[in-house]
Amino acid sequence: MDLLANLSLGLATAATAQNLMYCFVGVFLGTFIGVLPGVGPLAAVAMLLPVSFYLPPETALVMLAGVYYGAEYGGSIASILLNIPGTPSASVTCLDGYPMAQQGRAGVALFATAMASMFGALFGVVVMVLLSPKLAEFALLFQPAEYFSVMVLGLVAASIVNSTGAVRGLMMVCLGILLGTVGVDVNSGETRFTGGFQELRDGVSLVVVAMGLFGISEVMVSLRGATKSYAGAGLTGSMLPTAREWLRSLMPALRGSAVGSFFGTLPGTGQTVASFVGYALEKRVNKRGASFGTGAIEGVVVPESANNAAAQTAFIPTLTLGIPGSTTMALMLGALMIHGITPGPRLISEHPELFWGLVVSFVFGNIFLLILNIPLIGLWVRILRVPHHYLYPTVIVLICVGVFSISNSLTDVWMTLLFGLIGYVLRLFRFEPAPMLIGFVLGPMMEEFFRRAMLLSRGDPSVFLTRPGSALLLGVAVLLLAATVLPWRSWLASGRLAVRRRA
Amino acid sequence: MRRLIPQIGPVLMLAAGLFFVLGALTALDLGSFRRMGPGAFPLLVGGLLCLLALIGLVQNLRQPLAPGRPDPMAVLGVVGGVAAFAFFTPLAGVLPATAMAVLATGAVIPGFRWRYRILLALGVALAVWLIFVLGLGIPFIAIRGL
Repeated sequence: MDLLANLSLGLATAATAQNLMYCFVGVFLGTFIGVLPGVGPLAAVAMLLPVSFYLPPETALVMLAGVYYGAEYGGSIASILLNIPGTPSASVTCLDGYPMAQQGRAGVALFATAMASMFGALFGVVVMVLLSPKLAEFALLFQPAEYFSVMVLGLVAASIVNSTGAVRGLMMVCLGILLGTVGVDVNSGETRFTGGFQELRDGVSLVVVAMGLFGISEVMVSLRGATKSYAGAGLTGSMLPTAREWLRSLMPALRGSAVGSFFGTLPGTGQTVASFVGYALEKRVNKRGASFGTGAIEGVVVPESANNAAAQTAFIPTLTLGIPGSTTMALMLGALMIHGITPGPRLISEHPELFWGLVVSFVFGNIFLLILNIPLIGLWVRILRVPHHYLYPTVIVLICVGVFSISNSLTDVWMTLLFGLIGYVLRLFRFEPAPMLIGFVLGPMMEEFFRRAMLLSRGDPSVFLTRPGSALLLGVAVLLLAATVLPWRSWLASGRLAVRRRA
Repeated sequence: MRRLIPQIGPVLMLAAGLFFVLGALTALDLGSFRRMGPGAFPLLVGGLLCLLALIGLVQNLRQPLAPGRPDPMAVLGVVGGVAAFAFFTPLAGVLPATAMAVLATGAVIPGFRWRYRILLALGVALAVWLIFVLGLGIPFIAIRGL
């Protein structure tokens, strides 16, 4: 009964004209970003953060979330037609999607992708509806020591899923946490590491860091290759799969959604791992596993249902524990905090309209995406063929105007450029900037809980190990770190390599 | 010299860690275990970063991770675009600054013809006016003097 009341509250929030419009804008932009290889959903969410300041918090989150899961739909279009994944998680879709396109069945592959994405996403929404309130209820038992430990776990998880190794990921996390300490310390009122600059008293702005690290530096990496125009397989033949293909896709979609929902809830894994594991698992259990990689429809259905289910369930730890599972989720948390909302177990009870409105908006968003990806597929195919040199100068301007619009400050624009250069240098030396942003968002909260836990334990640091919940979480973090040397990572890496070789 | 270049990354991290450790030790109150001062947490995390950087340095000496190839023209194009925006905004307003930023960034893209660059600059300026000024109502000085 409670669930029905909550869902009707969500429906009332999500079905307003404004929220529907911004939901559509979000998924449209998400598909656009996903279609274009080069600019990821992370950069898009970062660019839209300033715009979200002018919107009510639930509308802002509906739009930003739309960009995030919309990109998963769009990412598969370039994978199928060009063999170039629009998003990292869509790289698995290349394996069977591109051979299908080469066989003149691109339409069927795109149709199956859209349907599997919708199925996976709705599966993920159901998991989110059932699991989130329970998890939030459980998390209310947490004390500062557990909060600190869950953040450690989240940061460790974020740093190990990193192509250049856990040590480099952890370095970036630490750098992000330290950057978060710049500005006035909330407990003592003392300024820290500002170097006398008044502009840094309130700390470094999340928008500036995110846009610099992911917008500016991304453009620096891709700008000179921007004249590429892609000519891949055309959209030929009927879009409808045969009745047999429909039947053959049902169980793989279900298995993919279940795998995706599971991995989406784990911090640090996300859609890419979900689609890789879903594909590998299906290849073993499916009777037609041997035909995978040659244009099997199941090979398209599984990764797409998995990554879309994961995109939805990634919101569970973010909204119920305040722990972002990925960098994009860290930006969502940042957007909430900018609106004065503290993510955590009390979010569902204190802001039910926001949580349930977002959940229901996922359903609307996925319906919009289905419309955008089936009847309007021709539009995206045409966009794919537009030369990319029109894109990057536009992105630079949108970043400048977006940052400038927050407080009409050109200092912020220069700071964004500085972070862009830092991000570029870090990339050159093989440091991925994503864990840094998660550390930057979680750092201040982490420090707060650390200091509070030490105060409550009267200065006894063993509190993190003597409280069972905290010890368990830290133990899992240690196990995760240890697991980086176990064979599954090399197995996953070899899978990725195979995909890259094919791409 | 070539063998030293990959070590620059971990060394930079070590320098960043040391900056925060020394800053915390010299300029901030560390407090006690019970009541931690503003310097305690940065000291701990800065120390951890130093330790990780040293591990990274050793790892890198064993198995050097070759750095990527820098593209100075791309950096110049982006820096030029942002600088053009920051320079022209107070002088001429946001829309002319937008157009100049597009032209500056577009100038380093090989094969991007001037005619199309100018059209893109005008189009993006129009889009900025439509989205930010007309749509979101942000109080920009769109064109100074108008």
